[in-house]
Formats: sequence, structure tokens, C-alpha cells
Amino acid sequence: MSDERDLDGELVAEMVAYQAGDLEAFQCLFRTLAAELGRFFAATVRDVSQRDDLVQETFLALHRVRQTYLPPLPVRPWVFGIARNVERRHRRSWRRRGAHEMPLVDGAEAAETAEASSGSSPSLDRRDLASALRRLPASRREAWVLHHVHGLSFAEIAARLRIGLDAAKLRSSRAMIALRALLGEARRG
Amino acid sequence: MAEPSPRLLEAVARDLRPVRPLVAPWRRALVLLPLGFLLLVGVPWFWGIRKNISELGMWLAWGLSALQALAGLAVVGAALREGVPGRKLTPAALAVTLASSAALLGIITWVTAQYAPVVVRPEVRVRWVWECLGIATISGIPALAAVAWLAWRLLPNRPWIAGALAGLGAGLMADAGMRLFCWVSEPEHVALSHGGAILILMVAGAFLSRFAEAWKSWRGR
Repeated sequence: MSDERDLDGELVAEMVAYQAGDLEAFQCLFRTLAAELGRFFAATVRDVSQRDDLVQETFLALHRVRQTYLPPLPVRPWVFGIARNVERRHRRSWRRRGAHEMPLVDGAEAAETAEASSGSSPSLDRRDLASALRRLPASRREAWVLHHVHGLSFAEIAARLRIGLDAAKLRSSRAMIALRALLGEARRG
Repeated sequence: MAEPSPRLLEAVARDLRPVRPLVAPWRRALVLLPLGFLLLVGVPWFWGIRKNISELGMWLAWGLSALQALAGLAVVGAALREGVPGRKLTPAALAVTLASSAALLGIITWVTAQYAPVVVRPEVRVRWVWECLGIATISGIPALAAVAWLAWRLLPNRPWIAGALAGLGAGLMADAGMRLFCWVSEPEHVALSHGGAILILMVAGAFLSRFAEAWKSWRGR
């Protein structure tokens, strides 16, 4: 817990330095947060290169609105708030382009976790899982993926999404109930 | 991908001027205090002060209007907070903001109707609703424009909600001046014309915010 607080403190210091015009601080922020953002986008985008693009795009958007970060507030909720906007724009532009392929959840990570946590058979089709995850409301999917795929505690999820601890638990558990129902349907169908 | 791409680094390095973090949303909302005051005195000054203001007295007329203008500023503060990534209002805070705004309008209307009751002749009822709706909406446009200017650099996670809150704040501020001009205290009139104007400003704010987000997204491509 204290390590995390130290890391948060470091992020705040880097963000302040970046706002003051320090390029090195920006690179440090990128190194610290890029992997987490990649995992965040993995909840909705399967293509790794597209996911990397979204991470880069998030940092570009972050750069444009860097004055909206208010120190000493935690950096992560702010960065993930921007990432949610980037994701929403991506989904919208994807819909506009009329692509035929839905953006899928990263099969490897999410499907294995779902198989383990829902107790369903290992032969569960990843496509079913991806399709079920897509049908969940974004807020529930986010909480579920952060908990079951990324292994974050509910306290960490609550801090990251700036919601209450109970809300984090509720979103994840409702997502799990919905997933079970959807996957049950998929297997019966 | 542990390092930023050369293109991203180049874009960042090109525009790496130091920036000053924005001040807290409630402090930014205070920038609109002079505008709130201007609307409070400007609307009755321009259109004329309500005929029955003496029945209300100083506090129920100017005091309640000032309170409403301050409530509008507080709602603008909430809209500005909603505009900061990752700082969206909780559903409870949003519900309290909307409910307390509606309650304040209701209470002020009820008190005004008690102290300065006005019976509107049926032949002018509809015309007055339209007139007040138009004047109240037009009066709120400068406030909405000022809030849009303040919020321009923000990146709301929920543009519709941020914009609607901005419209609500602007509407409350403008209506604070309107009630010092419009002498009709009938709740139906207030709800349809003054409340309607606030609703129009909320919808306009929501669309404006959504449009701004789409435009910024398009420009950033």
C-alpha cells in the first residue's frame, strides 16, 4: 500500500515537472503508465497495434489538456479519464466507419480468467466471452476487467475509477452475474 | 511499448511550453460572479423592474434573486468539475445538484406567489409565456457563452452532462434577473416560461458540449 502511495507521489511529481515543460518527466510518465493503459484498452480492443495506437493517442490527448491536471490530486484517475474519452472516440469513429468486425476483448487474458472464475468448461469459446463482455455496460466491464484480468483489488479499482469501494464491488459482481447469464445463453444456443 | 513513439515525442516536444494548472472548478466559477451580478441588475434594468416589487420587499425580491444567482454559480462550478477528466460527479452528487436546483426554483416561485400573487387574464396567458420564454432564453445566452469559454479547454468524460449542467447554471443565473422583471408569479407561468428557458439552455449546453468534443476530436486527428 505504501509502495503504491510512493508511486502515486512520484507520478504527481512527474506530472508537475511535465506541466513545467520537462520532456524527461513526460517520458517517465509514459514508461510508468503505458502498460496499464494498454491493459485498459485490452478490455475493448483485440488488435495489439491498434491498442498501442490508442495508448499513444491517450498521451497526445493528455498533452493537449495537461493544464487540467490539478496537483496534488492522484494522476491515475485523471489519465484514465482521458483514456475513457479516447476509447469512446475510437468506438464512435469505428462505428462511423461501419466496420464489420466488432472490437474484441483480448482473448488470451480475459477468456482464461473468465474460465477460471466462472467455473465454466475450459472449452468455452473466447469469442463468446468477448461477445458477452461487449454486451456489458462499459462501467461494469471496466470494473470486472480491472479486477479479474488485471488483478487489482477493489480498493485500487475504487481509487482508479474514483468511485466508492462498494460501487466497485457491485459493478464487478453485477458484471460477473451478467457474464454467467450471457455465457450460459451462448452455450445453450 | 515502454517508450513513446517518435511521432508522439516530436508532437510533445514541439509544444512543451510550461502550463499553469487550472485553478479549482469552484474558483473558476467565481470568475462569472460579475456576470451574475450584471444579469441580476441588467435584466430588470433593460426590460423594466417588476410592477409589484414593493409587495415582495427588498429581501424577497433582491435577496432571493441573489441566492438563485449564487446557486447558478455553484452549478457552473459543478459543470466545470465534471469537465475535468476523471473527476466526474457521482450519481448522488448529480442528483443532489439537479434536485436542489429544482427545489430552489420551486421554493422561490412559491414564496413569490404567496407575497405577490398575480392572476393572469386568460387572453394574454399564452402570449406572456412565449414572451418570457424568449426573453429568459436570450438573457441566458451570454451566461452560457461565458461558461462555454471557461470550459473550452476541458475534456469531460460525459460531455452531455457537463454541458447540461453548464446550461442549468447559466439558466439559473439569467432567471435570477428575470424574476425581477417578470411580475407574473403564477406557478404555471413560471414553470412553462422560466423553467422552459432553463430547460432550453440545458439542452443547448448539452449539444454545445457534445459538438465541442466532436470538433476537438476531429481537429486532433
